[in-house]
Amino acid sequence: MSTAPKVGVFLCECGDKIKGNVDMGLLAQKVVETPDVAFCKTMPYPCLKPGIAGIKKAIADAGLDRIVIAGCSRRLMMKKFENEMKDSGLDVGQIAMVNLRDHVALVHPGLEPAQRAEKGVKLIRSSVADLAAMVPGLRFQISIEKPVLIMGDGIATYAAAQQFARHGVESIMALSLDDEEEIRLLHERYPGERQNFGRVRNIMKAVEESPLVQRITVGDPIAKNGKTGNYSVSFENPEGGAPIAVEAGLIMACLDGEMESPGPEFGHNGDSVICQSEADEHLWTVGPYKGNVVFWINDVEAGTPEFAHLSMRGAWSLGRAMVERSDKCNVTIFHNQDTPLPLSAEERRISRKLGIQWVAYDGKICPTVQARNLTYLVKDDGLERELPWDQLILSPVRVVGRHAIDVASLLNLDHKEGRFLRAYHAQVRPENVGRKEAILAGSAAYPCDLSQALAQGRRAAIKVAETIDLSKDGKLFSPAIVSVIDLEKCIGCGQCEELCECGAIQVVEGIGGAFGRAVDPLICTGGGTGAAACPEQAMYLQNASTIQREAAAGALAKELAPGEVAAFGCTWGGYAAADNVAKSGLAMDPRLHMIYVPCVGQIDATVMAKALLDGANGVILFGCVPEECHHSYGVDHGWSRVNMLKKLLALAGFDRKRIALAHADFNNPEGFVKTVEGYTEIIAGMEPIERSPQNLEKLHAIYDTTKNSRVRLLLSAALRRPWESVYRGAQRHALEYDQEFAGVLAEEFAQTRLTRALKAQGEPQTIKDLAVHLDADKDYIAEMLMEMASEGKVNMIHKQRKAHFMV
Amino acid sequence: MLKFRINDIDVEAEPGWTVLETAREYGIEIPTLCFHEAVQASGACRLCMVELREGDWTKLVASCVYPAKDGLNVYTESERITNVRRWIFEMLLSECPASQEIRDMAAKYGVTSTRFAIKDPEQDCIMCGLCTRVCAEVVGVHAIATQSRGVYKRIGSPFMKPNEACVACGSCVSVCPTGAMARRIDLVRGKMEENQTNAA
Ligand code: SF4
Ligand code: SF4
Ligand code: SF4
Ligand code: SF4
Ligand code: FES
Repeated sequence: MSTAPKVGVFLCECGDKIKGNVDMGLLAQKVVETPDVAFCKTMPYPCLKPGIAGIKKAIADAGLDRIVIAGCSRRLMMKKFENEMKDSGLDVGQIAMVNLRDHVALVHPGLEPAQRAEKGVKLIRSSVADLAAMVPGLRFQISIEKPVLIMGDGIATYAAAQQFARHGVESIMALSLDDEEEIRLLHERYPGERQNFGRVRNIMKAVEESPLVQRITVGDPIAKNGKTGNYSVSFENPEGGAPIAVEAGLIMACLDGEMESPGPEFGHNGDSVICQSEADEHLWTVGPYKGNVVFWINDVEAGTPEFAHLSMRGAWSLGRAMVERSDKCNVTIFHNQDTPLPLSAEERRISRKLGIQWVAYDGKICPTVQARNLTYLVKDDGLERELPWDQLILSPVRVVGRHAIDVASLLNLDHKEGRFLRAYHAQVRPENVGRKEAILAGSAAYPCDLSQALAQGRRAAIKVAETIDLSKDGKLFSPAIVSVIDLEKCIGCGQCEELCECGAIQVVEGIGGAFGRAVDPLICTGGGTGAAACPEQAMYLQNASTIQREAAAGALAKELAPGEVAAFGCTWGGYAAADNVAKSGLAMDPRLHMIYVPCVGQIDATVMAKALLDGANGVILFGCVPEECHHSYGVDHGWSRVNMLKKLLALAGFDRKRIALAHADFNNPEGFVKTVEGYTEIIAGMEPIERSPQNLEKLHAIYDTTKNSRVRLLLSAALRRPWESVYRGAQRHALEYDQEFAGVLAEEFAQTRLTRALKAQGEPQTIKDLAVHLDADKDYIAEMLMEMASEGKVNMIHKQRKAHFMV
Repeated sequence: MLKFRINDIDVEAEPGWTVLETAREYGIEIPTLCFHEAVQASGACRLCMVELREGDWTKLVASCVYPAKDGLNVYTESERITNVRRWIFEMLLSECPASQEIRDMAAKYGVTSTRFAIKDPEQDCIMCGLCTRVCAEVVGVHAIATQSRGVYKRIGSPFMKPNEACVACGSCVSVCPTGAMARRIDLVRGKMEENQTNAA
């Protein structure tokens, strides 16, 4: 596709909201003058049916292949435009929005309509430049022909396999246990569920009879390779010998959580004080206990109130089974008064009939286990009471076992220490969630009861089967915006793989047999974290690339007046806060010009440098509040890059404050407005960077240094990883790292300048020439040149008995 | 093309457009409250009422959901409409007296007091449902719902934290016409770290 891009721009009047505040005539006129704008139209309401019909007509008539709508919040309106424009041939990424209304029209009371139009033009030109720089990448078509592999030994395996069979989808169950062992484990992992085992057996039988389900017995998994449609997984061979290799189109994980005994503070001794898993085993191997059996639902005290209802259900069914089997036991369920009874009306009736006692205690004081007694308080009564017991049964401690963690990490289902596999989830829109939800089932994902585990298996299987159906119909495509790796450039450093939270990045064979990386486009959510971090810029986000961001930043910077600031705001923090300024009846400093980015972590350092190079005197990134970043640590990554830029600015003799990172909360527009004003004041108070040849040379060198592989690798290695729990990451000695990094930056910056100077001069230069040219210390230049010469980056020749250098 | 008249002006519309959309396309503004461009219209608040006339027969309809039809005669500023609007604003003032946004809007249409009894002086939500609709239709997560006492958080089961669907996007705050959601969102979104609290 080499035809020139045809960008259409649609200007909203939005009733009087924009029309009444912005000089629309001037705006339209300036937009039309913008390069690459093939069409421009002012409309009353582009987002309503008449407006949408108008846009579609314009796309068809003028042959537009990308459009900008200058209206309001993309957070609210983009989905509608994307849906409506699909049948006009515009895909996600080919539509951009500028928030003319809330960032310009309604928030600058001090400006004249014509001035507002001028500001609007700058934002629109930036957006047009972004779209025009796009090299449209098609969605990848994916085909899945091989069977689905279900692994992890979880009980949901059977439910999933049954569901696949119903859908006519072939599946392979890779299990290390036989059916009887699986059933036995249920006592331990889903205590109090024996009444449901019949159902499990039925499912097992159905699965065994199905010709679509293949069962293999395996040991621990060893490795996984490949992408959606084409996976290969190897397992240890339980009989010894060569590992077992399985080919699969998709992989699903069924993982059960494990139960541990509560700690000594609850008196657990494995005999008279036990936990529910042990009680379950005892009940079905030995029989019910005699005397006073007390189930203490101690989840609140153990710090996991969220599982109290599960423990209550477990206690209820175990207790019920005990009294139904023996008249020699009295069952009491002893629970925190804040935990609601989990019984239906019918169950309450049964409970009364069986004489099961429910005692609610006041959690103000943690009940204390004593020999044969529990002491406790009840609500609104100061009297300490005693509950006698002969057998005390505690809630189990729910954990993710080693096996589940191993399988999860093999499948890149990210895991945080001490957390359930689904408990850590990115707070993003459903379309941006990785595949985890769809391929994971069982109580290791999040504690649940047996029926829920089975239901999860079925649900996940339905989702997977739908994906396979799409693939059979040739309709399975990746999202439009996904990361792609250019294997010619990839050096296999693995930074992207470590930083990717979705688990989309796989090791593949690169050029010449080296290890490279490839992205599974069906898992990638287009977060762009890896692309911004790639040392070689081998990875790029198709249809939303760094090249586009650079174009946007450059186009905006070129238009900015000396006291004006270029800003980047993210979907969740900065841009959203700006969207809400007008709503709160506030005004915003008009000198701030904000470019939209999905996440601050997506902004490559080159983009920041580009803005400075092309004319911005101040650049600020608005991300989320620390620890509220919705992607894995984009705002932390932004921090690292901004700080690199600060160092480079200082090296070049510019003020470090010309770049800054700020945090914003969408529901605190007041705070946002203040931060904006503070920063614009700082920039307006400085002399603008004089765009002299010397200064431009330095700005160019800053830009080039942000592309330097060594610098980028060092920067990436220090970025916060998805598993790190401290703001900005904790894996290093802060000062040592920073000093080392600063040293490398200084070196690479100086070398970049020398290389540029030698290239620009075109003929061999002496040390003195270069020192004068770069306005730098002679000895330092000499030292650098020697080092560069020894690395073969420059050539040294002698002319008139003096050392001369050239590239 | 459908042909009809709004305020005695000839207008044209495609089948499927509403009276409100057609009016706006012709630069005729009708006040709305529960309508937002990002979501399906629901016709709940009735503020966008217009009068349809045919001979001496007239009727009032909510323009945000009423489809454009051939031969309609629509009036957006008739006396009857102005009265209805006043009445609706008075109702709103009594239902959500705590909302400055509603007071401002009512004042714009000349309504500054209400003859109806104020039920809850603290109430600022008119239950227009815009927040829940945007959350479901645009964000796609169904994190909130409205009930008799305003907006509440929809949760799967008492402590199933990960079921708490809110992704803290702020869309609900942006569409809320009364400012009520801005005051409620902190109860809904929680803190990121809490949403991810461990449970082991
Ligand atoms: S897209 Fe937004 S600014 Fe444009 S007309 Fe619609 S509501 Fe108004
Ligand atoms: S970060 Fe870049 S160079 Fe490194 S493995 Fe990933 S794609 Fe390859
Ligand atoms: S909170 Fe706002 S948007 Fe939601 S129902 Fe109430 S008034 Fe409507
Ligand atoms: S902030 Fe939460 S409740 Fe509001 S729209 Fe977004 S997801 Fe829904
Ligand atoms: S805007 Fe039409 S009924 Fe509320």
